[in-house]
Amino acid sequence: MPVSIMKSNRSGLRLATIALPALLFVVLSILSPAFLSVQNLSNINGQIAALLIVSLGQLVVALIGGIDLSVGAVLSLTTTIIVSVSPDFALPAALLAGIAIGLVNGIGVTVAGVHPLIMTMASMTFLQGLALLIHPVPGGTVPDYLAGLAWTSAAGVPAAFFWCVAAVTIASFLLSMTRFGLRLFAIGANQASAARNGIAVRWYSVSCYVICSVAATIAGIFISARVSSGDATVGAPFALDSITAIAMGGVQLAGGTGSVAGVVLGTITLGLLTNGMNLVGISPFLRTAATGLLLLVAISMQRRTVIGV
Amino acid sequence: MALSSPANALVAFRSINKSFGSTQALVDLSLQGSAGSVHAITGENGAGKSTLMNLLAGVHQPDSGEISVRGQALRLESPAQAQNAGVSTIFQELTILPNLTVAENLFLGREPHRTGIIDRSLMRRRAEQALELVKCRVDVNAYCQALSVAEQQLIEIAKGLMADADIFILDEPTAALNGPEVDTLGELIHSLKTAGKLIFYISHRLEEIFRFSEAVSVLKDGRLVGTFETHELTQDELISLMVGRPLGQLFPPRNPHPSYLGCALEVSELVTSEPEHAVSFRINRGEIVGFAGLQGQGQREIIRAVAGVGPHVGGRVKKRGPGDALQNVDLSIVAVARSGIGFIPEDRKSEGLYLSLSIEQNVALGMLRQLAMWRRAHVRKSGIDDLLLRMRVRANDQGQLVSSLSGGNQQKVMLGRWLASGVDVLLVEEPTRGVDVGAKSEIYALLREFANSGGAVLIVSSELTEILGLCDRILVVRDGEITAELDGVGTSEEEIMRYALAGSTADARKEL
Repeated sequence: MPVSIMKSNRSGLRLATIALPALLFVVLSILSPAFLSVQNLSNINGQIAALLIVSLGQLVVALIGGIDLSVGAVLSLTTTIIVSVSPDFALPAALLAGIAIGLVNGIGVTVAGVHPLIMTMASMTFLQGLALLIHPVPGGTVPDYLAGLAWTSAAGVPAAFFWCVAAVTIASFLLSMTRFGLRLFAIGANQASAARNGIAVRWYSVSCYVICSVAATIAGIFISARVSSGDATVGAPFALDSITAIAMGGVQLAGGTGSVAGVVLGTITLGLLTNGMNLVGISPFLRTAATGLLLLVAISMQRRTVIGV
Repeated sequence: MALSSPANALVAFRSINKSFGSTQALVDLSLQGSAGSVHAITGENGAGKSTLMNLLAGVHQPDSGEISVRGQALRLESPAQAQNAGVSTIFQELTILPNLTVAENLFLGREPHRTGIIDRSLMRRRAEQALELVKCRVDVNAYCQALSVAEQQLIEIAKGLMADADIFILDEPTAALNGPEVDTLGELIHSLKTAGKLIFYISHRLEEIFRFSEAVSVLKDGRLVGTFETHELTQDELISLMVGRPLGQLFPPRNPHPSYLGCALEVSELVTSEPEHAVSFRINRGEIVGFAGLQGQGQREIIRAVAGVGPHVGGRVKKRGPGDALQNVDLSIVAVARSGIGFIPEDRKSEGLYLSLSIEQNVALGMLRQLAMWRRAHVRKSGIDDLLLRMRVRANDQGQLVSSLSGGNQQKVMLGRWLASGVDVLLVEEPTRGVDVGAKSEIYALLREFANSGGAVLIVSSELTEILGLCDRILVVRDGEITAELDGVGTSEEEIMRYALAGSTADARKEL
């Protein structure tokens, strides 16, 4: 019975998670002949790669019942660091910043007990300001070696695809093969029980925020390589988009339920939607409106325990 | 006593004090346990048994005093540290996680691994061996949310006993188990004992204490009454040590003919969630009815659905309205409260009281319930004074914050608020949880007084003595279904347990 399958797994995958992107794919290939061209597909791939990497980081935080709104600002900040620091230090500087931001978020949430929404909203605002301060006008030059990482293709397969494969492989390995991953599911289901099983809940929680920030930093490196410039507002939509993507992928924001496959499907859905609207000629503003609706629908479809009133 | 000679003590508690807020949970408590023995810890609910063991398990830390293991004083800051010190704990509240498989749950915290990568085949094999040990036949790859409470308890036991430890704490391990399963547990405990381990066995099931243990320590109100060799005691002696007084004095006399006053509440075909059964029952005016049963069998869901705070799928609730006619009640929390039904939740701190407001304000909020929103909120102070006096709330004055009161006084304020608002049906979850013994009997008396003046009370309690002593009628709930209706007078604990346990694990699985 499908009901019992859904009841007893922690992937959060349901029929709609898989059917929606498939349906979009079919509809778009009928509506627009340009959709199935190699050029367009590799275009979509390039567009969603950064979102996929950010969303996988968001997944890690969501599994323990947290949320990270600062991912977009981290991404923006990364692009500004890369064009502002000497080429030799660009990558290490960006990664160090990512780790530091994750540590601050994680410690704020787990040790100081600030609500994750408030904590990461505060760092989001702070970092957005910082990014604009560093690099107010979009532009600048990106180190040469980075451009190659984003634009070369091997055997006709674009580099963006390899970024996606690498991110998915690492995330799958972490979540389904390691002790670390299993314990995240345990913490997300019940922190107190997990602690009683001898799991250092705080340490794991801080790690999750660090992983999420680093993922956003990597996405920022990818973006700055792709557009060959620094832009202090390029990351703005990523916070909401990544949360929408994981929610559509069946990840429960309350923690303990979610999967890499779901996040991949959710990201693809969002990417197809953007691309399709482009092809069919619908205003990009409508796409933003649609994202809001999708988030609402995806969250409403999740099963939750009923509270009174 | 030879048992507590410090020479062979594996674990020693010395002058332990521990308090939670204003409640003193443990008072200057010293206790020793020696290797190769089963040491039972018993006492009434709230006597401090679980608190004491939580200190050894690293969940809480003592305010003062010292815990030493193998003669070495230790400070156990976390469950992980306690595990490293060789303490394995089977907690009373199950720590099984619903979104993990049986094998994952069994090894959570000490998964077999190669450089961080879980060795799943080894884990499954060892999980199967562990389940073999407790004779539990479930698939190690099944997710735990699909299992019955008894199966989860067996997994919890297997997990605890599998650990490489010298000290085992079993906190009420048999709450959900049936006869043969308890026998299996007995064999396991025996083999641990012969292997030279120390087992702390917490239970208030007397027959198990006499079957399993060599030594028994009795706790009462956070103090040690004494440690005794089990075979030197009789059951009656142990009971009087635990209770310290005959049971009868705790409870007020019952109402001989409640049914003559008519029906106060009628629940028909109530379904709380899809897999559960429909339940129907009625409560008469002047009557206290209790739901008994093992924890997590659905009694809490039923009372919460009637109160309008829990989900319900189908069914109808009728309540006596003006002119004694039964009227339908819409099951939303607002409609339920408006119809004159009060709900006292188990967790009064987060669900019931306004902790940061004064006693006066808490009670006044109840009194003002019927007033229109724009009416001036004026309450006669003397009215509140009378009420507090009648309920014997011990507080300095009306302005004292509710958060600073003891558990018993908080419960009285909670009760007072509903009484002040003029309800005639009370739904009470765990009426005396976290309440000291003195206040307990006062709360029982208040509930009885409410019933005698024509009110109807429905309680859910995990304390059988409370159900037996207080209720006029007892409904036993198992697996979401009312399996028996018993008279409060003349029913025994064993009889209730028989109905509560009747289904074996096999039955429970069939119904899934």
